Amino acid sequence: MKGYKNRLRRTLGYIGMGILAFIMLFPFYVLCYVALNNRSNPLSQGVFAMPDITAENFITAWQRGNLGGAAWNSFLITAGCLVLIVLLGASAGYTIARYSNTMNKIIFSIFLCCMMVPGIINTVPLYTIMRRIHGINTHWAMILLLSANRLPYCVFLYKQFVESMPRDLEEAATLDGCSRFQAYWLVTFPLMKPVTSTVVIISSVSFWNNYSQAVFFLQEKSLYTLPLSMKQFVLENTKNWNSISAAALISAVPMVILFLCLQKYFIKGLAAGAVKG
Amino acid sequence: MLKKIKANYYKCMALPAFLLFFCFFIYPLCLGIGMSFTNWDGVSAEKTFVGLWNFREFFRDSRAIHTMLTTIKYGLLEPICINVVGLGLALFLDSKLKMTNLMRTFVYLPSVISALVMGYVWQLMLRPDGGAVRQVMEFLGFGAHFKAWLAYPDSALWIILLVNVWQFSGPAMVIYLAGLQSVPQELYEVATIDGAGYLQKLKCVTFPMLKPAFQINVITNIIGALSVHDSVVALTDGGPGYATETISVYIYRMSAGARAGYATAVAIILLLITMLPTIFIYRAMQKER
Repeated sequence: MKGYKNRLRRTLGYIGMGILAFIMLFPFYVLCYVALNNRSNPLSQGVFAMPDITAENFITAWQRGNLGGAAWNSFLITAGCLVLIVLLGASAGYTIARYSNTMNKIIFSIFLCCMMVPGIINTVPLYTIMRRIHGINTHWAMILLLSANRLPYCVFLYKQFVESMPRDLEEAATLDGCSRFQAYWLVTFPLMKPVTSTVVIISSVSFWNNYSQAVFFLQEKSLYTLPLSMKQFVLENTKNWNSISAAALISAVPMVILFLCLQKYFIKGLAAGAVKG
Repeated sequence: MLKKIKANYYKCMALPAFLLFFCFFIYPLCLGIGMSFTNWDGVSAEKTFVGLWNFREFFRDSRAIHTMLTTIKYGLLEPICINVVGLGLALFLDSKLKMTNLMRTFVYLPSVISALVMGYVWQLMLRPDGGAVRQVMEFLGFGAHFKAWLAYPDSALWIILLVNVWQFSGPAMVIYLAGLQSVPQELYEVATIDGAGYLQKLKCVTFPMLKPAFQINVITNIIGALSVHDSVVALTDGGPGYATETISVYIYRMSAGARAGYATAVAIILLLITMLPTIFIYRAMQKER
């Protein structure tokens, strides 16, 4: 009796997984199907009809949408932001965890409070600041802005991690004649690799996909990031769903590859944020 | 002097980060609060103090009120749905069945793609003339129930909600899974010995242990949902009419329409709408502990 019940439960479980997999993957299937299809309204033939395969849509999307340039811009901004948040976030998190003087305590509580403030609130006043520092339509200003938005999360993760690290190694290093800063930079920073990888991976998704800030501050087409080019491409090619799908696929692929290769870090990173409690 | 700075630098290493954060976050925030009391257009040198006029204007404008209500409705529903779905999936995929790891990958996958791009993909799926959703519904025999949902004011917001739940349940699920794995197995064993069934174990062992995961999920989702922007732009662009216009879309349009003072006032209102529930939930959970 019990075995029968167990088997039933297991079967139901697998049926549930099948449905779940269908729901999660079906849009991607449709996306590939339309992007690879030569017919202008491919789905009217049914979703599983043999496609009239062509790579032309990808070529159209790549050339007309300037996706290559956009991918390069996205990459530059993402890379710049990552360097900044790792360097600044790590040293701030470290100091806050190790030396809790009043200043560090105040700084940390400000960071914590500001985690509650959605970034979009600042865009209008930021626009005036950006104009004053000639930061509109430049990559460096975008990098500074996006990394500033991301810093609280970063500092929080680093602080959390450093608190769980033993002090012995740093102290040994200072005894051996390192200055405090050297002890941090040469000993502790390399040991923080697990958080660094988490911060880099989780944040790169948010930098790469950023649209709501980029749309304000990058108005020149040659500086567009992938989401901006995608939007522009859709506006210019309404109804041409084949090439829109191809463009969507192209802009989705880098992050999908990153995720599939580094899955375990994504999962670890989110879990690290969750142990806050 | 220089030596002293060098010797004590390690204590102040938080300053560079704070400086950057100050310039690009705190300073604009303060500037925005000041700006919200003016009628500045964003370009000219002219800037007059108008007191609370912008805020009064907001609450008098029926379009603005509607965006606020839409945002609040969405901000209420989205965290609930994402947490229910995320928790359900976590419990389901924490079981001892095979292939659960692969399923987790599938569920998480959409959330690494830009919400804007995913919005366009769903627009393609939901097209009335030969969209994939229609094909599937016809195949299952529900073809008659298909509507061009995005074109109707009553249903467009629900579609935005569904797409977001589909896309962003993965991270919530992963956080709940981490929470589930931190529950000590002995607790379950003790509960089994005491004769607790599955539901009782869920209620008395699992849920209390998931509180930290629950807290972080609810708060981050509320903040995210109240400032939803990208998927609205891609799916409906605030339409039909202004039916799905959320506050962040409205802010963008107002600032592009040379009403900088008013737009910052709206941003401050959004800030207040966000802070109230977050602080409330945070407090309530701290007290319970």
